[in-house]
Amino acid sequence: MMEMENLKYNADLDNEAKHIARLLDDNADRLSLRTLKQLESSRARALQAYAQQVEVKTNRNGTISYLFGWTGQHRMASVGLLIGAVLVGFILMQTFKQSEPSDAFLLSEDLPPEAFVDRGFEPSLNIKQAKI
Amino acid sequence: MASSQELSDFLRKIERRAYKQTVYAVRDDHAAMDIVQDSMLKLAEKYADKPEAQYPMLFQRILQNTMRDYWRKQKVRNLWTTLLSSFGAGKDGEEDHDPLESIDVGDERENPQAQLESRQTIELIEKALEKLPARQREAFVLRYWEDMDVAETAALMGCSQGSVKTHCSRAVNTLSSLLGKQGIGLS
Repeated sequence: MMEMENLKYNADLDNEAKHIARLLDDNADRLSLRTLKQLESSRARALQAYAQQVEVKTNRNGTISYLFGWTGQHRMASVGLLIGAVLVGFILMQTFKQSEPSDAFLLSEDLPPEAFVDRGFEPSLNIKQAKI
Repeated sequence: MASSQELSDFLRKIERRAYKQTVYAVRDDHAAMDIVQDSMLKLAEKYADKPEAQYPMLFQRILQNTMRDYWRKQKVRNLWTTLLSSFGAGKDGEEDHDPLESIDVGDERENPQAQLESRQTIELIEKALEKLPARQREAFVLRYWEDMDVAETAALMGCSQGSVKTHCSRAVNTLSSLLGKQGIGLS
């Protein structure tokens, strides 16, 4: 019995509330011309902002973003590629270092460093190299 | 992602209600217009990529937050106004009257008597709505005017569904008793 009364009370409450909401709705349609124009211009500004947002997002979909997109999607492959590139770089650097005469070698020599670029010293250097 | 046309349709559908709802809350037409405009911009700028179905909830959340920001700023401004009031300020009544303000775009086919009665009822409802405590008004507007269900209203207001029901029930009771005193029945 109590439950029935409660339900009826809630239904009455809902009806009254909806009636007020309908009246408010009708009233909202009776705005002044000036207010309606202001709302229209606000809407236009919002749509302009929306168009700018869409444009920015479209521009971002270029080559760079494609690349970043790819790296984002293939994380493991990207990390593998990066480690590979670092390793190759390290190996190349070591090989290059070994083929070049080091500063220590030049300083420990009796001859001045300029001698190594002077053609006149070539025979003497060749003899030295042959001895080694 | 909603298209520009969908966003436009959505804004067109809600803008009048949003404006009136804000007027009831802040009781200042100009401030209400600024709040609605800000809310529309925020929706378009920050949530352009969201699907259209999420727009009503997102917009209401933005609108409520923008209103709260306005009240916060208003509190600080009121403090300064009170402090500086002794220096004297212009009267509100002296503002220029804009004839466009008085032209409404209501249905002119209604007979004048019915129009007058309807306008009086609305004025009473508006006054009663403005007198409601903020949470009750918010609950009533979201639940019945924006036609959201109890769960959605609770999520927007950041309270339990039970609280929403209580706020709504108190709001409707207050409104109907205020209107009843003026001899206006609602059922």
